[in-house]
Amino acid sequence: MKRMWKTLLTLTTAVSLLILTACANSEGGGAGESKVVNIGWSGPQSGGAALYGKNTLDGMNMAIDDINAAGGIKVGKDNVKLKLVALDDKYLPNETATNARRLKQENDATIIFTPHSGGVFAMQQFNVQENFLIAAYTSEPKVTEVKNPLMVRIPPTYNIYPKTFSKEMMKRFGKKVALIPGTHQYAKDWTALFKKTWIGLGGKIVAENPVDYNKESDFSSAVTKALSSKPDVLFVGGASQPTALIIKAAREQGFKGGVIMMDQAKLEEVEQVLKDPKLLEGVIGVRPASKWPTEGTKKVVERYKKKFGADKIPTSEVLYNYMAVHLFAKAMELAGTTDDPAAIRAKINDACKQLSEDKIPLSVKGLSEDGSLITTPKAMMMKDGKYVEIPLSLN
Amino acid sequence: MELFFQQIVNGLVLGSIYSLVALGITLIYGIMQLPNFAHGHLYMLGAYVTFFMITHYGLSYWPAILFSVAALVVIGMLLERLVFRPLHHAPHINSMIASIGVMLFIEATARKMWGSDYRRLDSPYDGVIDLFGLTITEQRIIVILSAIALMIGLNLFLKRTVIGSTIEAMAQNREGAFLVGINANKVSLMTFAIASGLAAAAASLAAPINLVYPSMGAMVNLKAFVIIVLGGMGSIPGAVLGGYILGLAESISGTYINSEYKDLAAFALLVFILTVRPTGLFAKEAR
Repeated sequence: MKRMWKTLLTLTTAVSLLILTACANSEGGGAGESKVVNIGWSGPQSGGAALYGKNTLDGMNMAIDDINAAGGIKVGKDNVKLKLVALDDKYLPNETATNARRLKQENDATIIFTPHSGGVFAMQQFNVQENFLIAAYTSEPKVTEVKNPLMVRIPPTYNIYPKTFSKEMMKRFGKKVALIPGTHQYAKDWTALFKKTWIGLGGKIVAENPVDYNKESDFSSAVTKALSSKPDVLFVGGASQPTALIIKAAREQGFKGGVIMMDQAKLEEVEQVLKDPKLLEGVIGVRPASKWPTEGTKKVVERYKKKFGADKIPTSEVLYNYMAVHLFAKAMELAGTTDDPAAIRAKINDACKQLSEDKIPLSVKGLSEDGSLITTPKAMMMKDGKYVEIPLSLN
Repeated sequence: MELFFQQIVNGLVLGSIYSLVALGITLIYGIMQLPNFAHGHLYMLGAYVTFFMITHYGLSYWPAILFSVAALVVIGMLLERLVFRPLHHAPHINSMIASIGVMLFIEATARKMWGSDYRRLDSPYDGVIDLFGLTITEQRIIVILSAIALMIGLNLFLKRTVIGSTIEAMAQNREGAFLVGINANKVSLMTFAIASGLAAAAASLAAPINLVYPSMGAMVNLKAFVIIVLGGMGSIPGAVLGGYILGLAESISGTYINSEYKDLAAFALLVFILTVRPTGLFAKEAR
């Protein structure tokens, strides 16, 4: 009997506490007040991809600071400030799933960013039930194929690159390519698509030599093997810095041909590692996002340099995520809600049209039917010591 | 044939780096029976110290390495004194866990202090040498030669000096060493100092070939542990030979088999050697 009373007592205390907190919560949501809305982020903050994660976060933080400094956004009658809640997932999809649940339940985040396809796939399993919007920073085409109704893809898919890259390199150097891509899933998918494209254009693959970009002390031996098949062009791809080391090793061993870089490697970062622009002759990759010829891009690049140092260049991770936060903020204003993901997503297209190119970086034309932001990147190649921009074409 | 010799050279460079890191781990294991999981991260610290000596204080390459070795010697001694010696009488597992703790601590500190950026350590030896049709950069030649010099130096120190032989004696027979009056605390302090210094040297030599970043130690650490299992836990010639075997196995198998199976080939070799000699190549004889 005594025990029963005890249990009852604890139960009632617990319930009353719950009610109390619930009241406290609902009180905060009154009309015309200033509110804080959490934006979630789950990505790598430790391990080999930590820098990549930090770059995406830097972009988001800058955007949120800018929005708050300008007085926040107006949603209905409320004045809303944004707050970023970032959780480390070590680049592991299962951790992303756990983080997403935490962000939704503990922090009440309606929009959750993640910078990797694995994390997006994991969240797509339950984001509709749990009612949150995925902001996917990944160029993996498969994430939009499933047509998740509560997802927005931020960068363009990577399948727009191989054709133009291949054609340019064939024209300039020849039809024999040796592959030294990374061994991670993203590189594998990219390589498969590239191989199909290259062979389809009448090219030949003379060596295929994938290496783990994060576990190698010296890339010489992989490069030696690839070069022994006398290729005209090398295909490389992984994080920028190890990619740069592979290019360097190839030049040291006397390779003079062209180099195709997967979009994961950023020309501006490769350049910083190599230092000597001569080593980059004949390299083709995606045009650095900081070179987007719009007023908005210039402004953000300048502010980024002021904040992080004059020698630092914001990569596409920084700029795309900066842009995305502004779009979502605008969409919340237009939708008049901060916690209805479907309504926010429905207004993304209008938000794209309302935010002009001289306000936010890059240039986004709208939201496509499958949920991708419409941007038009370009390819860039080093030719005779100068960068030339090449428009991407799918034919 | 040219390809084969080029890969031998590449394998030697890899092997030299592996051996130098493995030597430190095997020294500590020999004396304290402690697998020091934090060793790779001491390697990372060594690279950072050299990097900052060059970029912030304007030292040239070799003085920067010397400074970095000295700094890591001090850090190694501090670790022994503050972390591992207090655990001396605790169960063995405690110091293993402590070494994992130290590893996480060092990486997190590095990330906090210096960020996750990849940095490039420039060495003045950036030229490429053409040797009978083989190409090798000057830095890689320096890696091979310095590794050999360091190994010979270490060997002379252990065999020809009194202090060195106390380390050898401890490694060979703990009780016997105590009986002849060797101070165990001093020896372990010194072992940590030497091992950390070696890690700093290895890192400073290898860093210009690769990059400097907070998790750079993790991958060499893993390889180094494979090597000391291969060579026999606690054996110095085992670590040297094991390092070169793994380095060459990786570069040769990467060439003639698929590069994706490179690690597989290296580990198959490990399994084979351990099947033939379960205690490793140079295991200490049971006494």
